[in-house]
Amino acid sequence: MKSPSTLTHNIPSLNISHLQLKQQGTPLLSLNEEVKGGEVLTIMGPSGSGKSTLLNWLVGMLPSDFTATGELYLNGQDITNTASHLRHIGLLYQDPLLFPHLTVAGNIAFAMPKGDKQTRRDEISEALNQVGLAGMEKRCPQHLSGGQQARVALLRVLLSKPKAILLDEPFSKLDSQLRQETRQLVFEQIQRYSLPAVMVTHDQSDAIAAQGKVITLDTLSLNEVAS
Amino acid sequence: MIVANTLFTRVVRNSPYLLIALLVVPVLGGLLGVLLPAFGWFPALGAHEFGLFGFVQLFQTPGIERMVLLSFGTSLASTLLAFIITILILASYFNSPWLKRIQRLLGPILVIPHAAAAIAIGFLITPSGFLSRLVSPWFTGWDTPPDWLLPHDPYGLSIIFGLTLKELPFLLLIALGVLAQPEIGKTLRAQHKVASSLGYCPMTGFFKVILPSLYGYMRLPLLAVLAYSSASVEIPLILGPNTPPTLAVAIMQWFSDVDLSLRIKASSGAILQILITLSLLGSWWLLELLVKKCSAAFLINGEREYGGMLIKRLTDMITIAMLTIIGLALVAMVLWSFAGFWSFPDILPQQLVSLHWSSALLQMQTPLFNTLVIAISTTLIAIALTLLVLEAEQQNTKTISAISGFIIYLPLLIPSIAFLFGIVWLFEQVNSQHAYVNVVFSHLLFVLPYVFLSLANSYRRLDPRFSSVAASLGVPPSKIFWKLKLPLLISPILIASALGLAISFSQYLPTLLSGAGRINTITTEAVTLANGASRRTSAVYALMQMLLPALFFILAWAVPKLLFRKKG
Amino acid sequence: MRLSKCLNNYYRQLISSICLLSVISLSSNVFANEANIEAKTTSRAWHNVEKRGTKQNVYFHAWGGDQQINNYIQWVADQVKKKYQINLYHVKLTDTSEAVSRVLAEKAADNHRNGQVDLVWINGANFASMAKYELLAADWAGELPNFELTNPINNPAMTRDFGVPTQGMEAPWGQAALTFYFDSLKVNDVPQTLPELLTWSKHHPGHFTYPKPPDFLGMSFLKYALIILNEQQPANIKEKLYQDATVESQAQLLPSLWQFLDKLHPTLWRQGKHFVSNGLALRRLMGDTELQVSFTFSAAEIPSAISRYDLPDSTRSYRMKDGSLSNIHFVAIPYNSPHIEGAKLVANFLLSPEAQSRKQKTAIWGDSSVLDLSQLTAAQKMLFDVPEKQHASANIINIDNTRLLGELHPSWVQVITEQWLTRYGVQ
Repeated sequence: MKSPSTLTHNIPSLNISHLQLKQQGTPLLSLNEEVKGGEVLTIMGPSGSGKSTLLNWLVGMLPSDFTATGELYLNGQDITNTASHLRHIGLLYQDPLLFPHLTVAGNIAFAMPKGDKQTRRDEISEALNQVGLAGMEKRCPQHLSGGQQARVALLRVLLSKPKAILLDEPFSKLDSQLRQETRQLVFEQIQRYSLPAVMVTHDQSDAIAAQGKVITLDTLSLNEVAS
Repeated sequence: MIVANTLFTRVVRNSPYLLIALLVVPVLGGLLGVLLPAFGWFPALGAHEFGLFGFVQLFQTPGIERMVLLSFGTSLASTLLAFIITILILASYFNSPWLKRIQRLLGPILVIPHAAAAIAIGFLITPSGFLSRLVSPWFTGWDTPPDWLLPHDPYGLSIIFGLTLKELPFLLLIALGVLAQPEIGKTLRAQHKVASSLGYCPMTGFFKVILPSLYGYMRLPLLAVLAYSSASVEIPLILGPNTPPTLAVAIMQWFSDVDLSLRIKASSGAILQILITLSLLGSWWLLELLVKKCSAAFLINGEREYGGMLIKRLTDMITIAMLTIIGLALVAMVLWSFAGFWSFPDILPQQLVSLHWSSALLQMQTPLFNTLVIAISTTLIAIALTLLVLEAEQQNTKTISAISGFIIYLPLLIPSIAFLFGIVWLFEQVNSQHAYVNVVFSHLLFVLPYVFLSLANSYRRLDPRFSSVAASLGVPPSKIFWKLKLPLLISPILIASALGLAISFSQYLPTLLSGAGRINTITTEAVTLANGASRRTSAVYALMQMLLPALFFILAWAVPKLLFRKKG
Repeated sequence: MRLSKCLNNYYRQLISSICLLSVISLSSNVFANEANIEAKTTSRAWHNVEKRGTKQNVYFHAWGGDQQINNYIQWVADQVKKKYQINLYHVKLTDTSEAVSRVLAEKAADNHRNGQVDLVWINGANFASMAKYELLAADWAGELPNFELTNPINNPAMTRDFGVPTQGMEAPWGQAALTFYFDSLKVNDVPQTLPELLTWSKHHPGHFTYPKPPDFLGMSFLKYALIILNEQQPANIKEKLYQDATVESQAQLLPSLWQFLDKLHPTLWRQGKHFVSNGLALRRLMGDTELQVSFTFSAAEIPSAISRYDLPDSTRSYRMKDGSLSNIHFVAIPYNSPHIEGAKLVANFLLSPEAQSRKQKTAIWGDSSVLDLSQLTAAQKMLFDVPEKQHASANIINIDNTRLLGELHPSWVQVITEQWLTRYGVQ
């Protein structure tokens, strides 16, 4: 296990260091992993095993009846106690959760940092082109198909220039054809932007396609079972 | 849904028509009863020709522009203020347990009648009131009350203060109710989380992501608040100026003036009042458009932090200030109700006596009896009708049409001063002699919307699969209704009942007019006494006005607990 | 809400009947005999009234803003229940005009037989209004046996309401005179005339005010001021106050009032920018110690307010040296009452020595009786003699020398109200 100090800053990485999650005193899970940029750490396990709790901890929104010990390092920085909105960790849910009061372009622009209007508009158009949604800037999110919405959600996360990305069963609402396509797209972008990624899923095929380490959480024992 | 043609299903099927009739006929009939005199037709005074002289008289009244401006300004300002504070509170405490706590603290204010709230605020801000006693003489050096102009200031600041304090809990509760609904609430909170993950601090996230969606659900309640406050009578009567008063108060005074020819002017005034309310609704709509337009760029400019800490501190101060004011007002009223001699500037009375309570309790037996009888009758009818209509929805497997939904709120949107006088005229035409029946009928107009609002969600959320399973087992719809749905809904029904009772307790104009003055309730007595000679007696009645709804809400909360505990 | 209309009931013209009383008491025997003969012939008609009126429900619409008065009416209800099995219901009004509105609405709806108002406490402009629109039962007051006890022939005030003949549509009930009161701890230089009031208010700004028109008490203050300010005018001009107001008489009599008010208003409570809407508020403000001098028509309410802690213990009452506006208040029966006989029985009881003497007691109500003591038997007279233990404020200073001022013609009310509202109504 590399210690944080030996990591260099130009290799992006998400380091979960000696995490122990407890629910009202009862130990729930423990984890000690480092995820490098472009890699996907897949977490699998039955319901109740603590997958969502892990994600909550990673974004800094752990509910009050859980306690955690351990640290979280992002690109060498200790963000264990940083406020949620300052962590620069992107979230992709199973629901696209596009904002209904903004257009497609608006949703993406919302995620982007401040900047010149024209530059942003160009970036958005280019990004939409890349995922096959050319010309859809002014559409309302409600009028898009599930697959289209998922792609916009992905763009939204990516264009916010996160330093890491968390995926919470992101493909479970898509039918198998769409699933493959979207999955492929997501992993491509993760590679391209060199983001450390943690994915929670039920689906074995997702885990296989991620081509990364897979950890299966077991409710009966605390030990991880490496695949 | 295919149902057998039994008595129950027929009653249920026709209940929506009864509901609509009960709401539409009086309101429209009342409007007619005011429209005709407004245009000059008033046989009892010998006026048989239509004409505009009522309006001419109206616009020649000294100070009419002031009255209109006062009505318009106070209601717009108070609604805006209440709305802004509501969203500030939501934004600041969105993910914090304080939200629940504030909701619980402010919730009870919802059921305090407007009259009692006005009286309480009056006790605070009047020159010899509690606030000035708290800071005199050590801070201000006063040993006689100062001659400042609160309440009754000519700009209506006291009215705005009172209305804001009263409407704020309502708006907050509506917003929280929306957020508590599973689909909407979950979605909104998830979107807030997304915004947070995109770098937006919680407050900015609220304003840019949640508010635009939440506003859609709050629009109708906001419009109802706006409409009500533009024509409300109790608060301007007790806290407002009288040179000139707001238009609604002036209309009420013209209707009761001994110079009977003023009736025509009053009716024209009622029409003017409707126009004012409509223009307020229009102005709000324009404001919405303006805000939407201006904020389009703002929403997506990527700015993530707007001095959130400062806003939060400001909100903290406002919330603390509000809660303190409410607390002090209550303390002041209790002190006054027990006060013997209490000279200025003492903070506490020289002596405490129970005389005021004992004599008031003796006097208030009839009003109390009336209040309870009317409230219970009204609420029973309202609950029964609401349940039947909601059951009809399920039987027809579609919710009532948008128009019907709108009609339910009709009595809340049209200024009551505009149609109540017409209703009295209607009662006369029908020669309805029984004051109690008339009063219950007019209370029903105002209780139904709230009861419906309160029960609809719970009823509609009942899992339809329960009924399907029961029906498949051969259970008739009536039995499903009585034995399955009602017991499941006992808690919401009790809360809706408590709400209905509270609304009925607080009615002033309907009781006064429909009862021909024969029916005294605690509220009518309280308003009379507020402008009367004894501050102490007035305090007792105002406190009584607050205790009554509180009592029933506590019952509504406690009874299910007892029932379910018994079951084991 | 305007209680002015309710307080209208307090006013009656008391035109030198007290002087007449002392003359008439010498010849009371003559009238007593005549009354006896009349009593025998009317007694049969009255007997019919009694027969039809028993067991009826009578709805008495009367101002309900004073708990003492309400208690008195409750006592009346108990008595008529015992005597005639009549159920008397006191419908508490905030303003007498409410009852007027009700009867008017009923007439508009052609409800000529089943009105909700059986008996109404009324006088002044309210009465004028109801009479004008023919809303009252006619010519019944003379039927009441006890009406004779007011000695109407020698007390013309009993049959005139603000100078307008009652034509038997109303029966007198009580009378009142404008009384001032002050906080003796705070006020050393009590103003005893109208000019003194202005001076006092200038030296102590913010401690006096009056209710805005059309409130009855406020109007009374203005009427009192109007009379006093025009004292120096020749008699033929002063007389016009008791006649219909014309453009000419307004121009002659009103300017002095407006000049006075222009000087007074800046010294008033709230600098004259806000006026309370009804007379009761004055008492509340005295209790809050915001005001230091105030006035009322019901002097008896002062000691009772003190006993309820609503006024400071140091309050004292007095009559202005230059005069005190006074009037009689009445009860009337609407034309469409279904219980006219019951209402007449109640009205008759209200005029009985028993009821009038009780009403006069300060502890009960303190409203002066309208009965002519010369018409009463010795036993009846004794009812009026009971001494009571009273608070110091019950002793009205100057009461024996009170110069009673008669009420103005009702038309002046509207004139003064309109012009006041134009000048001061919008701030």
